[in-house]
Amino acid sequence: MIGIFQEYWHAFLWSDGYRLSGVAMTLWLLAASIAFGFCLAVPMSVARVSEKLYIRGPVWFYTYVFRGTPLYIQLLICYTGIYSLQVVRDNVLLDAFFREGINCTILAFALNTCAYTTEIFAGAIRSIPYGEIEAARAYGMSEWRLYRHIIIPSALRRALPYYSNEVILMLHSTTIAFTATVPDILKVARDVNSATYASFSAFGIAAILYACIAFALVWGFRRCELRWLAFLKPMGH
Amino acid sequence: MYKLSVDDLHKKYGNHEVLKGVSLKAKAGDVISIIGSSGSGKSTFLRCINFLEQPCSGRITVNADEIRTEKDKTGALRVADPKQLQSMRTKLSMVFQHFNLWAHMTVLENIIEAPMHVLGISKDEAVARARKYLAKVGLPQSVEEKYPSHLSGGQQQRVAIARALAMEPEVMLFDEPTSALDPELVGEVLKVMQSLAEEGRTMVVVTHEMGFARNVSNHVMFLHQGRVEEEGHPHEVLVNPKSERLAQFLSGRLK
Amino acid sequence: MFLQGYGPLILDGTVSTIKLAALSLLVSVLLGLIGASSKLSRHRMLRLVGTAYTTLIRSVPDLVIMLLLFYSLQLLLNQVTDWLHWNQVDIDPFIAGVITLGFIYGAYFTETFRGAFEAVPRGQIEAAHAFGMSPWKVFLRVLFPQMMRYALPGIGNNWQVMIKATALVSIIGLIDIIKVTQDAGKSSMQLFYFSIVGAVVYLFITTASNFVLLWLERHYSVGVRKAQL
Repeated sequence: MIGIFQEYWHAFLWSDGYRLSGVAMTLWLLAASIAFGFCLAVPMSVARVSEKLYIRGPVWFYTYVFRGTPLYIQLLICYTGIYSLQVVRDNVLLDAFFREGINCTILAFALNTCAYTTEIFAGAIRSIPYGEIEAARAYGMSEWRLYRHIIIPSALRRALPYYSNEVILMLHSTTIAFTATVPDILKVARDVNSATYASFSAFGIAAILYACIAFALVWGFRRCELRWLAFLKPMGH
Repeated sequence: MYKLSVDDLHKKYGNHEVLKGVSLKAKAGDVISIIGSSGSGKSTFLRCINFLEQPCSGRITVNADEIRTEKDKTGALRVADPKQLQSMRTKLSMVFQHFNLWAHMTVLENIIEAPMHVLGISKDEAVARARKYLAKVGLPQSVEEKYPSHLSGGQQQRVAIARALAMEPEVMLFDEPTSALDPELVGEVLKVMQSLAEEGRTMVVVTHEMGFARNVSNHVMFLHQGRVEEEGHPHEVLVNPKSERLAQFLSGRLK
Repeated sequence: MFLQGYGPLILDGTVSTIKLAALSLLVSVLLGLIGASSKLSRHRMLRLVGTAYTTLIRSVPDLVIMLLLFYSLQLLLNQVTDWLHWNQVDIDPFIAGVITLGFIYGAYFTETFRGAFEAVPRGQIEAAHAFGMSPWKVFLRVLFPQMMRYALPGIGNNWQVMIKATALVSIIGLIDIIKVTQDAGKSSMQLFYFSIVGAVVYLFITTASNFVLLWLERHYSVGVRKAQL
């Protein structure tokens, strides 16, 4: 295993010679999809808990469909499915976007994680004691201020443990990116496997790299929880 | 001139009429206690004053500024201008039974939040105000950085009172501020409220504490089944009740 | 017809996916029960093995474990057959899929069951012991039925995740919904349409599972008071 790693560490960690690969690629996929997903999920979770059916309904349908189907098929639809349509190929912009595996991958990942994140945040909003919202209204806050200063900050903090779980699951999900020819850790491992037939070493190195990233993420989220979730814990003596 | 006047307030839940025309007038420095058994509508009345509940009809005036309302589809009153409601609410700050402190903010953040983001005063000024009122409710500066869940119920309610004071409101509304507290913690909160009354603040207090109603307030309203059954100076009303209901209520209370 | 004659093929793939998920469920529930009892056991070694198992599986992506097991098992098997001078035996992708999915989700079920075991009030177990039940009887008559009630939401959740995870087995060459819809799409030149068909089939399965789970939850919460709103 050490021999294989010595030979291929460059590709496993950050570059296969002419583009990002391995750990760097996996982290980029994860960061990009999480960032897009998060930004979309915040307004969508507010819509998800709306009292009005015509606002809540479409968001419910979106999260239901994306949580009810495998990410792999969502990626296939984005990557091979959409690009097989003549309409898309005829449009210069769409053609340029969907021809690149990485664009399709980030699109599919972002939409997928956004659906899960929306439900997590919506659950957190529902868990805020109603009295706190009433107090904000009683002090003359407008709806916008109420969301901006009370509901969203409180909900994001309450969601942290569930959100950290979602990020780890998203890290696991990035492994299917290789089916869209994105050179992430697993793609490098597969290439090494077919070049050397040392399956156990090739995939073993990948497993260790993924585990390291997962542990680092868990450690980071623990720190955040200690900092931002102190308000939910009873005082330690 | 009245600081707060409420005229002929009605409120229905479905077909059940909870408030059948209740009025209240508070001059500067008045401390009005609203008493009554549970289900008499006293909390609902208080919550209607700043539109946390929608009344069905009635007029509410704060400092000669009448709240413009319109009827919505269900027949309840709705505030015509949200801006006016928000500015009215900043003049009536409320203290809740369950404190309703914002759990994700420290004590200091809880107190400066609304002054900074609703009244628009500077952070320095808001912090100075917060410190002043924390001292007034008898809490040490060391609680500033704590979260509400790390305080006792009595301390939380005193923070909530400091939060209300920091708005420097015209009228303070208290919704059963001691009902959720353990008996040994009630005293500290009542003491703070008494000192506020002595400063000449205008307060409307829904309460079960007959001692407070008798010794601190200058006007007592007894609500029964959504109507004012009897009202007046506490020394008359509570000592010589005219209505049978109030006599019954008091004898049940003051054994 | 709107499936353009690919209906039977897609039905085959669907049945294969459901079979795979159901068998993996069986394996993972068994592993989960074993894992949970070892994590709660008095022996330090057993606890350590249980913890290592769940930590490892939950930090390494399922697809990586799947490929690792699939290729390494094959290599191991080749070595064994070489040593015995037998012909090479290829691992059936279906069995490989069941084993790997079962092994992976066994770890998630371990956590589910451990939480559920711990949720059963100690007093009730003490009461069972006090009435002279044997440890096995205590498990069977008191612990297990109550535990299932606490575990049910977790089981349902794992099942939903597992159905979606079966989609990965087409990568190791198994015929499932994804494989058949992609094949149909490629040969009919309507890849987009048939990918959507595949997604709809999955959505149908997860929706049906939701209803079953709701029913089960209602069925198993007999004797539990619910707050009425």
